[in-house]
Amino acid sequence: MKVSSQKTGIILIAPSVFLICALLVYPVLYGVWLSFFKKHSFFPEQRFVGLANYLYLLRDSEFWMSLWYGTYYSVSTIVLQIVIGVIAALILNEAFRGRNFVRGVVLFPYMIPTVVAIILWKWLLNDQFGLINYLLLAVGIIEDPLSWMGKDHIMTSLIIISVWEFTKFDTVWLLTQGGGAEKYIRTLPVFAYMRTFMYYQAGLGSTLAVIMFGILIASTTVYFKMFRREEGI
Amino acid sequence: MRPKNTFFSLRGQTIYWCAAILLIVTAFPFFWMVSTSFKPLREIFVSPPYFLPKDATLANFARLFEQTRFLIYFRNSVFVSTMAVVFTMAIATAGAYSLTRYRFYGREKIASLILFTYMFAPIMIIIPFYVLIKKIGIANTHLALIMAYTAFCLPFSLWLLRAFFQSIPLVLEEAALVDGATRFRAVVHVILPLALPGIIATAIFTFILAWNDYIFVRILITSDNLKTLSVGIADLHNATVIDWGMIMSGGMLITIPVLVFFIFIQRYLIAGWGTGAVKG
Repeated sequence: MKVSSQKTGIILIAPSVFLICALLVYPVLYGVWLSFFKKHSFFPEQRFVGLANYLYLLRDSEFWMSLWYGTYYSVSTIVLQIVIGVIAALILNEAFRGRNFVRGVVLFPYMIPTVVAIILWKWLLNDQFGLINYLLLAVGIIEDPLSWMGKDHIMTSLIIISVWEFTKFDTVWLLTQGGGAEKYIRTLPVFAYMRTFMYYQAGLGSTLAVIMFGILIASTTVYFKMFRREEGI
Repeated sequence: MRPKNTFFSLRGQTIYWCAAILLIVTAFPFFWMVSTSFKPLREIFVSPPYFLPKDATLANFARLFEQTRFLIYFRNSVFVSTMAVVFTMAIATAGAYSLTRYRFYGREKIASLILFTYMFAPIMIIIPFYVLIKKIGIANTHLALIMAYTAFCLPFSLWLLRAFFQSIPLVLEEAALVDGATRFRAVVHVILPLALPGIIATAIFTFILAWNDYIFVRILITSDNLKTLSVGIADLHNATVIDWGMIMSGGMLITIPVLVFFIFIQRYLIAGWGTGAVKG
């Protein structure tokens, strides 16, 4: 094509590239930069501390707990989602009457706001008036109402909700609100959130984000290495 | 050909039962939300629970509108989500058209950049994003939210629209040009109408993402008047005494727009179910 049309092409893509760089890539790089600073979330002053944030986290038991809860949560949710997802896909691939209707309804939980999923399940799992406890008691599976939001079962509740709605990140954070058992499902994103917005340690929060980013990049790389041939990306 | 799954064969029976279980597990919680939102207070806490309200009432909705700022949150959600859609679609349509119709230096690099940023999770950029927004001085404005959603929706919008544009043959455009149309007219009268279903589907995805968002609003917005629905309803839920009937009626009203839009775009999702999504 002609040079002039090349120019038009660049002009048309420019706003996208500019916004992606300014609002996604730059913040991520800025986050990497911040992770080497001791920085308050509100006030402008910051002090270069090198690797101190990383070293601090290595010695912080709260960090290792978050990493453990996060891994436990992710692995159980993903395994269940894959198993149930494959079974559902096999069924919905069969020809039967009303298939399109079921196909549509099955995707509902994926589309609704996480907030709605959380309040809905908190109501279903309510220890005194929840339907789930009522049914389990009526059938005789349990003898006393389960405290689904208590420390023993909150991880199970979280996994049930996440599998049901095919997961979004907010789920963990939202379920933690207004309950005493929060620290039993504190995953890395929640930990980062708390450090930044409750303890105002933006530098340390950024360090956590960088670590999560590293984990994500590592797992994505493995994914691409494994599947690149077949999918031809 | 597949064997026929009649209701009377063993295979057919198994499939119907599995489909029924799937349907109940996914749909029942919604049914329970709707049922609860129409129950008067005394029926909500009754044991054994009624599956349907005996004395259906609108009292829960009345309390929601009168005692909370639900309508303000609703208006905010509509405004912010709509603006996010308008900006995202304007920018992404131009970008996707450029990526499929022009050849220029770095085009493939830009495509990989888009795919790479597509994988970013909100939690990774939220902290630096917040610090930067604070620096610019637009924290606690709807503008900050609209920027966040536009940025977040751009990568997947570009990626989807690029696939839609790729499926439209170049020949059509060339034919219009040969017939004496300007490039702009060719795009407006030939390409956009053909790409319209794809553009609508992408716009709805963007809308739903902005509508459903919680974390950006929680962090970027502090004034009650500027909050959107998801944070508004979460705060109602965190009250000391939880008014379940009112919360459920609010939850139902937030969900309705999403489900209406979803029913619109369902056929695109279902079409992608068997074939492995939109071909890139």
